[in-house]
Amino acid sequence: MIQLNNVTKTVRSGSDDLTILDDVSLSIPDGQFVSITGASGSGKSTLLGLIAGLDEPSSGTIIVDGDEVTAQTDDKLAQIRSEKIGFVFQSFHLIPSLTAYENILIPMEILGLRDARGRATQLLADVDLTNRGHHYPPELSGGEQQRVAIARAFANSPKYLLADEPTGNLDSKNGQHIFELMTELHRQSKVTLILVTHDHAIAARAQRQVILKDGRVISDTLNNEIGDQISG
Amino acid sequence: MKFILNLTIREIRSSWRRLLFFFLCIALGVGSVVALRSLIQNLTKAVGTDARALLTADIELSSTNDFSPAEIAKIESVIGNSTIVEARNETITTAMMVRPADPSNESVKFVELKGIEPPFPLVGQFTISGGQPFDFALLRDNGAVIAEILLEDLKVKIGDKIRIGEGEFTIRASFDEEPGGTNGFRLGGRVFIEKKAFDSAGITRNTGRIRRRILFRTSDNPGALVRQLREALKGTTITTASYREQQENMGEQFTRTENYLALTGLLILVLGGVGVWNVARAFVEQKRKTVAVLKCLGAGGTRVISVYLLQILTLGSVGSIFGVGLAQAAMLFVKWRFVDAMPAKMTYGVSLSTGFQGAVLGVLISLLFSALPLLQIRTIKPKLLLRDENNSSMTNLDWTKWIFGIISLAGLLGLAVWQAGSWKVGVFFLAGLAITSVILYSAAAVLTWLLRRVKRFSSFSVTQAINSLYRPGNQTRIILLAVGLGAFVVLAVQSMQANLVREFDFSRNQKLPSLFFVDIQKSQVEELRQLLAERTGEQPEIIPTVRARVAYVNGQPFDYTNREVRQQQGQIGREFAVTYREKLDENESVVSGQWWTASAADVPEVSIEEDMAARLQVTAGDSVTFDISGRKITARVANIRKLDLRNTRTAFIFVFRPGVLEKAPQSFAATVLRHLGATDRQRLQRDTLERFPNIQIFDVADIIATVQRLIANFVLAVSFVGSFVMLSGILILIGSIALTKSQRVYENAILKTLGAKRRVLAAILFVEYGLLGLLAGLIGAGFATALSYAVSRFVMNIKWEFDPVGMLLGIAVTAFLVMAVGVAASFDVLFRKPLGTLRSQ
Ligand SMILES: Nc1ncnc2c1ncn2[C@@H]1O[C@H](COP(=O)(O)OP(=O)(O)O)[C@@H](O)[C@H]1O
Ligand SMILES: [Mg+2]
Repeated sequence: MIQLNNVTKTVRSGSDDLTILDDVSLSIPDGQFVSITGASGSGKSTLLGLIAGLDEPSSGTIIVDGDEVTAQTDDKLAQIRSEKIGFVFQSFHLIPSLTAYENILIPMEILGLRDARGRATQLLADVDLTNRGHHYPPELSGGEQQRVAIARAFANSPKYLLADEPTGNLDSKNGQHIFELMTELHRQSKVTLILVTHDHAIAARAQRQVILKDGRVISDTLNNEIGDQISG
Repeated sequence: MKFILNLTIREIRSSWRRLLFFFLCIALGVGSVVALRSLIQNLTKAVGTDARALLTADIELSSTNDFSPAEIAKIESVIGNSTIVEARNETITTAMMVRPADPSNESVKFVELKGIEPPFPLVGQFTISGGQPFDFALLRDNGAVIAEILLEDLKVKIGDKIRIGEGEFTIRASFDEEPGGTNGFRLGGRVFIEKKAFDSAGITRNTGRIRRRILFRTSDNPGALVRQLREALKGTTITTASYREQQENMGEQFTRTENYLALTGLLILVLGGVGVWNVARAFVEQKRKTVAVLKCLGAGGTRVISVYLLQILTLGSVGSIFGVGLAQAAMLFVKWRFVDAMPAKMTYGVSLSTGFQGAVLGVLISLLFSALPLLQIRTIKPKLLLRDENNSSMTNLDWTKWIFGIISLAGLLGLAVWQAGSWKVGVFFLAGLAITSVILYSAAAVLTWLLRRVKRFSSFSVTQAINSLYRPGNQTRIILLAVGLGAFVVLAVQSMQANLVREFDFSRNQKLPSLFFVDIQKSQVEELRQLLAERTGEQPEIIPTVRARVAYVNGQPFDYTNREVRQQQGQIGREFAVTYREKLDENESVVSGQWWTASAADVPEVSIEEDMAARLQVTAGDSVTFDISGRKITARVANIRKLDLRNTRTAFIFVFRPGVLEKAPQSFAATVLRHLGATDRQRLQRDTLERFPNIQIFDVADIIATVQRLIANFVLAVSFVGSFVMLSGILILIGSIALTKSQRVYENAILKTLGAKRRVLAAILFVEYGLLGLLAGLIGAGFATALSYAVSRFVMNIKWEFDPVGMLLGIAVTAFLVMAVGVAASFDVLFRKPLGTLRSQ
């Protein structure tokens, strides 16, 4: 379960304080597939980053699986991510000096998993890249890079998968492929999936749809019970 | 143009921090060149290339023999015909033992004794302590004027009496600086006495190592006169020197030294250039987007290049000027730290022209080394903005690159030739640098390749650290080259010093005598033997010696009008102490010919040391005629002998077969091996001199200490320059870290997102730079060992020993240094929040 209580994020830009997230409260039960939509600049990436402990909120608390990620040292946050969270970025963020295979290996090596190599090979097969494992990121297409990134995000068998516009840098065909891959993995592994997207068609296929505007949640609906407001 | 200026200013404003490093590279390089050049220039000025003052005359005739009446007549006939000779005097010099007359004062000291007659000096000033001019009356009636340092050494004061030879002298005055200065290697301080006191104190009678000089002052260029003298004195042992020739030689020597030192500075500047090249390359890489946007907005390639060129020029000039400031600071440092070791008249300013030269050099190096990277700007196409092409790198090599590469190389060659003041040296410098770089670079490549082979370590941090060394755009090999070169220079000097010091180490050379007695009369031998045996507990070795000089080789006198022969005059024309014996010594071996057997010989035979045989150009079977106290003895060269100087008690260049020299006037030499303590040694010398004032004693331990001090000073100087090379290596390291920092920040952000803890990231950092330093240390130590081996064995001809402790220490220090610098320069990366980093990519 992920719980956000009155989360606010402000940053200083120049002499002004800019509020990126404004009193956001959300509760996401385990196993749910939530989509987050909103205009560019509405704070989606920031929200996702805060949940993953990549930054800290200015006020409010975030609880991930019982751990309060807002009151932790960087190392503890890293450990939480290592054990429970997978993250997929819009611009992939693979380590350029490592091969695709090695990129997938990293989270398992950090975690100290035993059969890391076997699992990495399996994950490569899952994302259909078995014979591209020895390639470096610049040698792969955008779609291929994102598949590696997804395999990497799943490597530590996370409880929560956070994806920030994973299809944003891809054409529609590749985007569709990535989306299918993620929903498939979600179904198989019962992971909680929080997907930030621009694409309303994709968002509509989530179990729950959250919409941000100017840093506030303006709509939060369950797709099978349309109109039923959960929180506001 | 306005656009270019504006943009340049804006660019410098936004990226000056990154370019600060560029600035430092140039400043350090220019600083080195200017400081080294200034140092030697000022030194030259202080020492004075005034050979006339050094010689204290215009013409000097010198000989280790008494001038014979025939020779004097020849000299007089030439001088008598000359209208330019204004004044003349004679001097006589030797090295002697001096001791206080007061028996309760146990000091004893080896000094350089000089007997003079008025007018003295012929040229220049002689001021005694207290500021009065030297007055010859001070020396009359057994007076002595001595160097200030000797007052301390002998624990005496003005008015005290000292004993020299068989005479007693009163110290009438002391002086700080003698006419002609105190350059060159000397065994002891100077003592002036009257020339005729040499006879009255029995010095001329008892010692053979005496040099006599006749000096002339002329009113005009003495060139013609010198030629006439040389012609008239052909076939004699007299050397003719003129201040003009010496001036030329000295001037040449100083200029050469200056240029060599400037080349060392240039080496550091070229390393700075490598740093510049690195910065420029990475800078262009980072500015790809900016350049693409500028081009997209309609700025032409040349205009964009101009912007960055102007930036480089600005930074290069400011850096160079800063470098000149650094040089001035370095000079002040030298003054503060080494003022005692410098000549009194030394100045510590940087001259305007040297500073200007350095600045020009700095700007040119900046341009040369940034030209190629800047050219890349031309190949950046605005269309890259349309695609996400972040990771593609620029690899196209077109013909302009080649042309500019060649132009840069030619420019560098020009600078080297300019700085060296010689085509040959400049070319050699550049070729040597290129070869060294290629070798070091290859070593770096091999080592990193090997490291990659063993890439799979069980430890995550180690694996990642090794990976980091292969990060795209990594500077690993450049860093290894630069830091390795620094370690190489420093360690090579250290290793050579270690071997040199070992060479002069008593405890390793059991055969080296601790005390050496010469000029012992036959009647004194037994008594001295007893004294030495009593004091040292060992039987001294006593050897007969005869003074001889080489008169003819195969019947021909030396041709001193030949410049090459004249340059060897000191070695071949001097008086030698020769001996005779039946057996070959332990430390000797015959390289050609035969050692003599017991059976009687038909003609006198001599054995000659290898190097001297080469100098005289004789082989076994040739004949050499010796002049022994006026008698000519012609000997057949029976064999050529090799001397192992490392294991030697005495070293005789000429050894005669017994049966020839026994009747010649001879004295004896004695050697003592046992190493007595300083006090016992001094007391033994004192007591020997009390009983035998004619005997000369060489305190070998004392001499070796002097030599070791000289070596230490030299090593200090070279290490100082070496540490500058090391410093530029470290600068390149810091620069490279700064340039790849954004990549490290990015990677660390990703690794943090994937759950890596700070400890793991820190471990990666430590291992990465530790490894890098280890490799650099290995390269440096490896090549330093090779170089010190080669120099010891083939150049200095001394025994070489591998120094594992020193080398391991060198590797460890290098590894630690690189690790400390690397970690310190990257540490802040560990504390960044990942979100900000990732969203800006
Ligand atoms: N570190 C920061 N400094 C300044 N502004 C920021 C920072 N992070 C985010 N912002 C601003 O906050 C707003 C929300 O950003 P973001 O979360 O990336 O939005 P989204 O992902 O919805 O497009 C944007 O206007 C962005 O410019
Ligand atoms: Mg976003």
